[in-house]
Amino acid sequence: MKAAVEKLDKNQVLLEVEVEAPRVQKAIDQAYRRLVKQVNIPGFRKGKAPRFILEQYIGKEPIYNEAAEIVIPPAYEEAVAEHQLEPIDRPEVEIVKVEDGEPLVFKARVEVKPEVQLGPYTGLEVERQEVEVTEADIDAYLKRLQERYAELEVIEDEPAAAGDIVTIDFKGTVDGQPYPGMEGNNYPLELGSGTFITGFEEQLVGARVNEERTVNVTFPSDYHEKDLAGKEAVFQVTVRGIKRKKLAPLDDEFAKDVSECETLADLRQDIRRRLEESQKQRVEAAVRQAVVEKAVAAATVELPEVMVERRIDARIRELERNLQAREMTLEEFLKNTDKTIGDLEKEFRPGAERDVKTELVLEAIARAENIQPSQEEIDAEIERMARIFRQDPDTVRKNLGDLSVLKYDIMIKKTIDFLVEHSKPVPPREQGAAGETAETAEATPA
Amino acid sequence: MRAPEEIIIRPLVTEKSTGLMADNKYTFLVDPGANKIEIKHAIEKLFNVKVLKVNTLMDRGKLRRVGRFQGRQSDRKKAIVTLKPGDKIKVFEGLE
Repeated sequence: MKAAVEKLDKNQVLLEVEVEAPRVQKAIDQAYRRLVKQVNIPGFRKGKAPRFILEQYIGKEPIYNEAAEIVIPPAYEEAVAEHQLEPIDRPEVEIVKVEDGEPLVFKARVEVKPEVQLGPYTGLEVERQEVEVTEADIDAYLKRLQERYAELEVIEDEPAAAGDIVTIDFKGTVDGQPYPGMEGNNYPLELGSGTFITGFEEQLVGARVNEERTVNVTFPSDYHEKDLAGKEAVFQVTVRGIKRKKLAPLDDEFAKDVSECETLADLRQDIRRRLEESQKQRVEAAVRQAVVEKAVAAATVELPEVMVERRIDARIRELERNLQAREMTLEEFLKNTDKTIGDLEKEFRPGAERDVKTELVLEAIARAENIQPSQEEIDAEIERMARIFRQDPDTVRKNLGDLSVLKYDIMIKKTIDFLVEHSKPVPPREQGAAGETAETAEATPA
Repeated sequence: MRAPEEIIIRPLVTEKSTGLMADNKYTFLVDPGANKIEIKHAIEKLFNVKVLKVNTLMDRGKLRRVGRFQGRQSDRKKAIVTLKPGDKIKVFEGLE
């Protein structure tokens, strides 16, 4: 196989490939055998006609086309590998010549990954937040623990207070009409939890067991069910029971109940350690995010439309999966949010463009720095996955196939490691920025 | 004598006849009234080859019925013509 590459405009490449005659001949034979089985020729049982009869009957064209389909894909792959191209789309193939006993020539036009003009990517200045856990943080954590392990005490002769859990029967009407879904019996509701529409829970404060109350609320104007948005509703509520959370006192006994720790002091230590750990992770994620963002911003690259579109599609499919988990179809979602698929695509485009650019830039840096996963790193990653999935490492390895995805992920991770290592930490300018970076940290590519 | 085109109706292309071509034997449908000598001359004239031998056979039409109507396929005469080694007939344009 001989292949010549010609660079066309933008990110397109034209490959001209010549496949040797013997290989073509083999493909033609194979094509004949395949076709002869499909054609019914009078005088012959299916698949029994000799080649020259078949040719007279259906012509040479179909046989050559079939042969081209057999020979071109692998030859194309070889040509791509030989010239180390990275196609991002299916090639447009044009057969130039195919004949018995002659080499086959074809042209393939394909879009390849664009060249990336890298900006500076070492010594990037990144703010690194200090890890700091205060006593107040620990107190807050303990408070939440208290809440979670609180015992519920049945209240009978006192009015309900905020924070109590009331069991209610309720029936709601809008404009005097009952509405499906606005009804329930023995429903446990924590007053002040914000589960129900604003105002509902507050109006039950002070109610006693077996008391009936009328609750008037207005649905918010952005309520998800459009028919109800902005409407006033009247609920007839009967309080069936009241339970109050009884917080256990913070002492060594409590520590023993909720953790492995022996004393409250130990528990505080343990919480400090855990909070520090999670903060450290958040800071680390933020730093990685920031350094990648900076490197990406410094680089220029012409984004290929195919890659962006593919990413948008992937995001839509992901949305669809998430909806499925809530037993909703994409169509229903679009109807509820009053959007078209085109709106979604527009909405996802900036994010998709950012993803594609990030991917291309990180790949380019990996190439420039010759970052590749080592065998040990691959093995270690497989071990790790095996532990997570509770599977045998060998099984995991088999399921991963040729490991290319895994290798790619490790390469990207190492590239980000590299960027962080070679970055210049600077003290954070102000405290307020922390929450912001932590929030966007989820978007860091794995 | 009749014209060769009237005697030789068309070549017969089947699995069996194709197999016979390996022995330099070519199979034709011929006029049922034609004899071996006429066939030999007709083939030699039409294709410019030397015929060594002609075997013929009558292929009686089969009875066919469609519902209550009974019919019969036409009788045919087949001729298997052996050519002198090296001679070839390259005409099979009459494929149905």
